[in-house]
Amino acid sequence: MTRQSKDPNGTLMMSRRGILLGGATLFAGSIAASLCPTLSLAAVDAGMQGQFMKLSNLLIQHQLSPAVGARIAEGATAQYKNLPQMLEAIITIAEKNKATQVEDFFADIPEGELKDFALWVIAAWYSGSSSDKRDATVFTYEEALTFKTTSDILTIPSYGISGPNLWTRPNLPLSAPMPTF
Amino acid sequence: MVTKTSADVVIVGTGVVGVVIAEQLLDAGHSVLMIEAGPRVSRAEVVENWRNAPLGVKGDTSVAYPSRPWAPHPMGNEKGDEAYLQLSGPDSYAQTFIRYAGGSTWHWAGTSWRLTPEDMRLKSLYGVGRDWAFDYDTLEPYYVRTENKLGICGPSDPALQWPRVARSAPYPMPHLPFSPGEERFTEIARTLGYNNIPVAQARNSGMPYDGRPACCANNNCVPVCPVAAKYDAETALHRLEKKGATILVDSVVYKVETNAQNKIEAVHFYDQHKETHRIDGKLFVLACNGLENPKLLLMSKDDRNPNGVANSSDQVGRNMMDHPQLTLTVTTKEPFWSGIGPVVNSGIMETSQGSFRSEHAGAYFRYNNFARNRFVTFAALKKGLVGKALDEEIRRMTACTADIVAAHEVLPDPNNRLTLSDKTDWLGLPKPHIHYDVGEYTRKSAEVYSLPIGKRIAEAMGATDVKISPKFNQSKHIMGGTIMGNDASNSVVDADCRAHDHENLFIPGGGAMASTACGNSTITMVALAIKAGDAIVDQMRGA
Ligand SMILES: Cc1cc2nc3c(=O)[nH]c(=O)nc-3n(C[C@H](O)[C@H](O)[C@H](O)COP(=O)(O)OP(=O)(O)OC[C@H]3O[C@@H](n4cnc5c(N)ncnc54)[C@H](O)[C@@H]3O)c2cc1C
Ligand code: SF4
Repeated sequence: MTRQSKDPNGTLMMSRRGILLGGATLFAGSIAASLCPTLSLAAVDAGMQGQFMKLSNLLIQHQLSPAVGARIAEGATAQYKNLPQMLEAIITIAEKNKATQVEDFFADIPEGELKDFALWVIAAWYSGSSSDKRDATVFTYEEALTFKTTSDILTIPSYGISGPNLWTRPNLPLSAPMPTF
Repeated sequence: MVTKTSADVVIVGTGVVGVVIAEQLLDAGHSVLMIEAGPRVSRAEVVENWRNAPLGVKGDTSVAYPSRPWAPHPMGNEKGDEAYLQLSGPDSYAQTFIRYAGGSTWHWAGTSWRLTPEDMRLKSLYGVGRDWAFDYDTLEPYYVRTENKLGICGPSDPALQWPRVARSAPYPMPHLPFSPGEERFTEIARTLGYNNIPVAQARNSGMPYDGRPACCANNNCVPVCPVAAKYDAETALHRLEKKGATILVDSVVYKVETNAQNKIEAVHFYDQHKETHRIDGKLFVLACNGLENPKLLLMSKDDRNPNGVANSSDQVGRNMMDHPQLTLTVTTKEPFWSGIGPVVNSGIMETSQGSFRSEHAGAYFRYNNFARNRFVTFAALKKGLVGKALDEEIRRMTACTADIVAAHEVLPDPNNRLTLSDKTDWLGLPKPHIHYDVGEYTRKSAEVYSLPIGKRIAEAMGATDVKISPKFNQSKHIMGGTIMGNDASNSVVDADCRAHDHENLFIPGGGAMASTACGNSTITMVALAIKAGDAIVDQMRGA
């Protein structure tokens, strides 16, 4: 006869890894990098990894997670053939400007491939994805910087920050200080 | 093919309609077998799927529920012949539902507006549409039972309740508090003379209920509540099994078999290996939702029922309805900060009523309370900003943009019709084809009524920009395809959702609804299911 239902919350509960891989099948393998940061680290050599984080820290003045950076670096390696040269070129521009923040050098990055790449790196950190498309690679959800800009007031959906019926505190004005992240 | 006598009652589908009836029958001492097309998955898997989805598609409510080959359901990325729903007509009946154990309440918002007495008498009062087979007073006790069964919270102050008629019992939980943005929206609506009232919603308010925890503002009710504070039918499956139900999953019913007396004798299903099975029983309930039920009935045509089972009236698959909606996306100077609390928490309902309904549809307005990072981040990034300017722009756009939705009623129109497409799915079963036109009645409402009100609200919010959706979108409230009536020649089911043509077949849920009104209608689908459940218990008793 037929198979009876299996209670997924009972004895057949999937392992966490099984759950994650279950999720991965959704996005045709594109998500693999985000699931296993240690593998990602192995896939991108340490030098490149260091350069990528150096560039990221020049482009974004917030605390950046090395584990997320490793995943974005791997995505960048797959997407940009001349990644080492581009990293080098933009870092050189920043150093020439003695930049301590992105505003000090961004305007000097030439339009075209280099500027587009710099914007891609910023977008990857803020959105946690390689693009706005359905087939995007996901680098992170809850660590995407977009959520940090609103972390003093908004929940990252599915990660509640208040308690039962405790969401009535007054709204923040736009002039409230930007959260530190 | 394997044949086996199964249970007193065979229920096809484990959505909210199916599980509510199953529990009633189990409690009355009957054996129940449930047959479910889709897989049974854990909440953790769905939550993980959603978190792993790219930010740009997080607004797609199906993204956490990839459909199985044997049980396809609409997915956001399908087009043309590939798509599960084959669509035609001036408007697109592009519904979303999922074929998983637990059904589409997995990703519903839980908004639960009752009908009003007038909503059920459109023909007598306004000369349009159809009257229901019974009146509001008949339905009212079933609403109360639905509210208690699902755990629907709502206001105790009659001035804040909908509809504005006396209730026979209070809500089982108090209403949820408004977020600051909703408070502000309510004040603004009041200046225009509109009451934005707390929505009755299937969400635990300030307390646990039915073994589920209190809502704690994860703002993720659509597409899944991570803690099951929102009712979904999956949460009932374990309890049903403890009470003795058998639930078969990955089992797609494709034929309802009749016997010489034109009673239902059995249902046939495919498993996920394309093996066929046959299950007989004494009484059958189809609870596959308002779109899959008519499809299954049409697929089941036989010599005795050449138009399909339950279709001597030729109304099966006709009168397909929903709540066509238009969204006004407003940009404001003042921060409203959508996204604090549950995703829908209030609404303006009085705009759904009035003598104008002889001319055009009414509309209900709601302030969508989804956190907006997922909608605005890429737009902010595309501006090419960096550093502090980028942080500030994302924060501004998250705080100062909002969606106001106008949801309309539609009239039952036999030309809005589901038929069987010549395109087939993985199992070789025909895909549903739906032709749809929201009709002049609804279009006129948008022109002369709902959009003008929506624009006034936007203006009062201080909107500096308003973008209006270019076409009607679906609300995913599937209604009408197995319409109810007292006259067997122009309706499919009677007042208890029993098929006019087959005394042991019940087809409860949205398909039976004779009018849509404007409010989200699952509460009415479930009230009809409980009414049908009572009738089934009586019928099984030989009453
Ligand atoms: C994004 C979204 C938000 C919504 N929000 C709201 C809201 O706020 N308020 C509201 O009132 N409504 C809302 N709805 C609508 C609500 O989800 C549906 O009205 C409700 O789920 C219908 O219940 P049902 O039991 O009739 O059908 P479903 O929940 O669709 O369940 C049908 C079941 O039958 C199974 N099935 C289908 N075909 C077969 C077959 N051939 N063989 C065996 N099994 C089969 C399916 O797999 C499924 O489990 C929303 C819907 C969506 C998609
Ligand atoms: S707000 Fe959060 S806890 Fe409450 S119902 Fe929605 S997802 Fe669940």
